[in-house]
Amino acid sequence: MKKTVLFILMTLGAYARVISGQVPLVQTDLSASKGGDLLVSSQMIQNILHYQTWGELFVYLQVHWFRLLFAVILIGVIVVFAIHYLIIGAKVFNENCPCVLVYPLFQRVVHWIAALSFVLIIPTGLIMEFGKYLGGGEFVRISRHIHAIGTVIFIIVFIPLFYIWVRAMLLSFRDDTRWIYMLGGYLNKKHVKVPAGKFTFGQKMWFWMAILGGFVMIVTGAAMYFQNFDIALLSKLHLDQVDLLRISAITHNFVGMAILALFITHLYMSLFAIKGSLQSMITGFKSVHELKYLHHSYYRKLLTKGFISEDYEEDK
Amino acid sequence: MSYARMKFYCDDRRCIDCDGCSVACAEAHELPVGISRRKVVTLNEGVEGKEFSTSMACMHCTDAPCEQVCPVDCFYIREDGIVLHDKNICIGCGYCLYACPFGAPQFPEDNAFGTRGVMDKCTMCAGGPEPTNSAAERKLYGQNRIAEGKVPVCAAMCSTKALLVGDGEDVSNIYRQRVASRGHGVQSRPYGWSTAYGR
Repeated sequence: MKKTVLFILMTLGAYARVISGQVPLVQTDLSASKGGDLLVSSQMIQNILHYQTWGELFVYLQVHWFRLLFAVILIGVIVVFAIHYLIIGAKVFNENCPCVLVYPLFQRVVHWIAALSFVLIIPTGLIMEFGKYLGGGEFVRISRHIHAIGTVIFIIVFIPLFYIWVRAMLLSFRDDTRWIYMLGGYLNKKHVKVPAGKFTFGQKMWFWMAILGGFVMIVTGAAMYFQNFDIALLSKLHLDQVDLLRISAITHNFVGMAILALFITHLYMSLFAIKGSLQSMITGFKSVHELKYLHHSYYRKLLTKGFISEDYEEDK
Repeated sequence: MSYARMKFYCDDRRCIDCDGCSVACAEAHELPVGISRRKVVTLNEGVEGKEFSTSMACMHCTDAPCEQVCPVDCFYIREDGIVLHDKNICIGCGYCLYACPFGAPQFPEDNAFGTRGVMDKCTMCAGGPEPTNSAAERKLYGQNRIAEGKVPVCAAMCSTKALLVGDGEDVSNIYRQRVASRGHGVQSRPYGWSTAYGR
């Protein structure tokens, strides 16, 4: 969290200084090595003048930061969760019924199509990011195509995904602030009643990152994919087409980092940290025991509506 | 011993927007339609005294930003400063285009999905990493005129010799001589105008 804040501040600082023209990030040497001043045309073409805004920022970030930050996030998040797993361990709930159907069939199908698209998109994105260690060429090129195919799948599932969960994913101030305060109970070995509705704040973060971030990724990715397009709006914003591509690449990388971090988190939670979590997305059922602790508000709501009864034995 | 540092320079006071360089380039390297390794641009069109044309291609930068940003490191810079890339490593991501101040990288359509293929750009007629003057080199990168001791085809064809290419120092000397022989740096009126008509 601290890292993220620091990182955002640094980036904003860099943006501001570059845009205001204070700092040339990359010194583009157009002159000859010796006595070369005469070789720079007195009137450079306009696109080159604009280069100092977005072109240099893109070069600076791509040369110094993107690959590094992706590596830090990829390794850092995995290490943090590995430590969490060793120290705190998994949460184990009594998976026997009584159970509640939390994810009806349609939701599960949508989830797994979205999951497929992410499994195609994220590793191939990383392959491109670290392409030089893989030698480039056909393998990375094919990954680029798979990245695009995964995106088409994600676009298909995007609206259903939004539609099925948007209501349950709306933030609830009371639950979510308390969830953040206790970090979802994940730093506690014992079962604690976590204030959360059908979805915890952690799940909500992931959902909104996938929806809002995903939307940004689609738009910026499409800009880079199609590359040649002409939008009248651009000239009004004093942007060249190539500047839009540069902004797209920068945004795509930063949002990609955030999605990567939460994607790993989601994998860790569903595959390791909460036993039976994966099963619940296959069968659609969650045990009342799990709901009572991880989704306590939802549990209480089901109680008052009479869908479940309180005389439930918690055999360990 | 100092090595030559190859550079392009287009003298915009001589360029007459004839497009000879870009046509010569496209024909010599048998480029597909839509790929312009070199193009002539006219700026301030119609603005009296300010209009000029210049020929743009890869400038073979000293600190080539394309080489710096390439995620698969497909670029290499020769000792004489010519910036080249390996099309077998390139993945066609387009980052070099975003990094380039001159819009040099070109992307032909791939046949796979009709998507963007690997990058193509001016090689200063120096081919690529394949064996010099091999069929593979010619197919991927076009002619290797430098290896044959020839001037890049664009500059060779330039009818007004606006487009200069060669060692940076030589190019600089030629241009300096031209400026000196003109008598003054920026000429805002046709020669003889002030003699004939006063101010």
